[in-house]
Amino acid sequence: MKKAFHLLLALTMIFTLSAACSSGNNEGNSGTVSSTAASTNSNESNSGAATEAPPKKVELKVFMSFPRFKDQFEQYFSQFKEKQLIEKNIDVTIQLEMPNADQAKQILQSRLSSGDAPDLYTLHANDIPTYYDAGYVADLTGQPFVDKLYDAVTETVKYDGKVAALPLESLSWGYLYNKKIFADNGLTPPQTLDEMRAVIEKLHTADVKPFLLAFQESWIPQLMMALSLGGTVSSTYPDWIEKMNAGEASYGDVRSVFDIIDIITENGTDKPFETGNEAGSAEFANGNAAMWVQGPWNAETILKVNPDMEFGVAPLPVSNNAAATMINLATSTSLALSPTSENKEVALDLLNYILDDQDSSALFEELKFNPIASVHTYEVFPWVNEASEYVSQGKAYLDLKLPNGVTDETAKLLQSYYIKDVTQDDIIEALDKVWETAVKAN
Amino acid sequence: MDMATRKWNKVVMLLVFVFPAFAFYTAFTLAPAFGGMWFSLTDWNGLNPVYHIVGLSNYAEAMGDRFFLKSLWFTAKFVLYMLVLQNVLAILLAVLVEALGRSKVWFRTIFFMPNMLSLIIGGFMWMFIFTRVFPYIAEKTGWMLLDQSWIGDPRYSFYAILALSLWGGVGYLMIIYIAALQGVPQHLKEAAKIDGAGAFAVFRNVTLPMIYPALTIGIFLTLNGSFKVFDAVYSLTGGGPGRSTQVIAINIFEEAFSFSNRYGYASAKAMILFGIVVIITIIQLAVMKRREVQA
Repeated sequence: MKKAFHLLLALTMIFTLSAACSSGNNEGNSGTVSSTAASTNSNESNSGAATEAPPKKVELKVFMSFPRFKDQFEQYFSQFKEKQLIEKNIDVTIQLEMPNADQAKQILQSRLSSGDAPDLYTLHANDIPTYYDAGYVADLTGQPFVDKLYDAVTETVKYDGKVAALPLESLSWGYLYNKKIFADNGLTPPQTLDEMRAVIEKLHTADVKPFLLAFQESWIPQLMMALSLGGTVSSTYPDWIEKMNAGEASYGDVRSVFDIIDIITENGTDKPFETGNEAGSAEFANGNAAMWVQGPWNAETILKVNPDMEFGVAPLPVSNNAAATMINLATSTSLALSPTSENKEVALDLLNYILDDQDSSALFEELKFNPIASVHTYEVFPWVNEASEYVSQGKAYLDLKLPNGVTDETAKLLQSYYIKDVTQDDIIEALDKVWETAVKAN
Repeated sequence: MDMATRKWNKVVMLLVFVFPAFAFYTAFTLAPAFGGMWFSLTDWNGLNPVYHIVGLSNYAEAMGDRFFLKSLWFTAKFVLYMLVLQNVLAILLAVLVEALGRSKVWFRTIFFMPNMLSLIIGGFMWMFIFTRVFPYIAEKTGWMLLDQSWIGDPRYSFYAILALSLWGGVGYLMIIYIAALQGVPQHLKEAAKIDGAGAFAVFRNVTLPMIYPALTIGIFLTLNGSFKVFDAVYSLTGGGPGRSTQVIAINIFEEAFSFSNRYGYASAKAMILFGIVVIITIIQLAVMKRREVQA
């Protein structure tokens, strides 16, 4: 009797486990069946324009690395759902995944290589070549949204002549400066290194810290190099990248990039490694420093701390040649489509809806992203206007496309540089090596 | 049933009981380990479905990798400090707690609690303490020693990581040592006291040899765990600034998932770490087991 009871218990547990595993599959089917029944009833009671067939159920998996915009996107997607239901009679369920930016890359990579790719996912524009070559990005040339984009922006998401993703965050950036501090001290954004030194002198006499240093998150010090290298290469060594890719150049050729970096690090706030992005935004918003090498993507964070703060965007001088002082044009986050998506049409509809003629403007305004298409008609923020002025004067360049891994390595090396753990020569050697390895690996 | 069948039945029974745990172990620990061994011979970048076998060149490269060797050195230094400090502190706490009367259980729980917290959470707590609380206290009391850049200055971040790891790890070892201390026969200690030995002499000559097996375990656990330290460093400094507090695990992690995404190369480095830990712990266990004393 006891034996039989124990056997029964064991068998029950095994069956429960196997039932739980397979119920995932069954639920989908039974769900559709019941909703079909329900909608057929509602359709029968609806006379007139409603179609005969029940709405098709489609599930889309969307992966976005902006947890701070969760509400906006959820609302936008529900608008899309309504639209799809009315126009195409498709009931779309969108599974929105929003991991933190620093974990997103690893999560995405594991999902992609295990075959569990999301239908749509955000991708940094610089990673497009790697992911495209691995076959995880679908070609989007010819989609309706492409025509609406500004040309310069489209260039930033093209690879191998094909449009690989939909740009979301497009930025014109240099460094941020506190307008009030500058006005109080009668300063204007400097255009050369000497002018920058003069500005710093004045700030010192006024007992204001010139630069905010927030190096805890390694991507922030790396911005200094991005601007410095970008300005130097775009003005003085236009073919440096090709030469580097061919192994004929070195970071030693552009050693002058360290000039502005030294100036910034020597005239900054204390304890930079205990200040992360949030803390840095708070300090900048509270006027603890006059300038911050950061981009306007932090606008929301800064304004949350101090909504009255007025900041501007100015190009970073990299030498005494005023022509090298330019704004960096880049696309950071873009949205890509997985070629293995089972619901390509609906996914493409969603993609195109992001740049929808009527609704896209409101979305981009709420996200405080720059306008990137002709359908964007909202009032831009004053700092965007300021940066765009430089762009329209031709004082801008497209963000440099560096090989995979060079940016991360730069980030780490600049942190070490600040604590004097490595010298300029060490950095040059290390970056050259990383570049060489990256080029070989591709 | 004859002897052979009965023995076979017994073996099968044991296997069946072990099976669920063994299944999980195989799926989540053994299989990835073998996978890692396989990938260490390739140049996979963690993403591309296409990759090539490159044999042992990953291992050869790792030997010359300046940052990897630096992290090996840093981790070795960390392990040494942890080995001594963690065990000494654990034995000290165990002796103190055992010497208490009624509040024994209460104190045991308190000292063990940090171990129950994930080190990542502990890391964030300590991050707050190091960056906000210490400077505040230093301001109010004038103890300028506390007002350092505990996270940013590489000289001090080592001690910050050490503090966090000790805080999290001592409790566990303390429990082991308490159990060992409770197994020391009272009559031996009394005999020593009658012979005129002081408290410290009793501890050194009677208690310590009797808890030697626990010491073996304690040192083994510390060696094993400290070489693989990750959570504590990741949550406090992230290996930074730059690479000044980068331990092996972080070096491997970054190699695989950031930078140039060299998953195959990182797997090779992980295999090297595995080799180091295996060799050291085998030597340690062999040496210490020989010196154990039975009651």
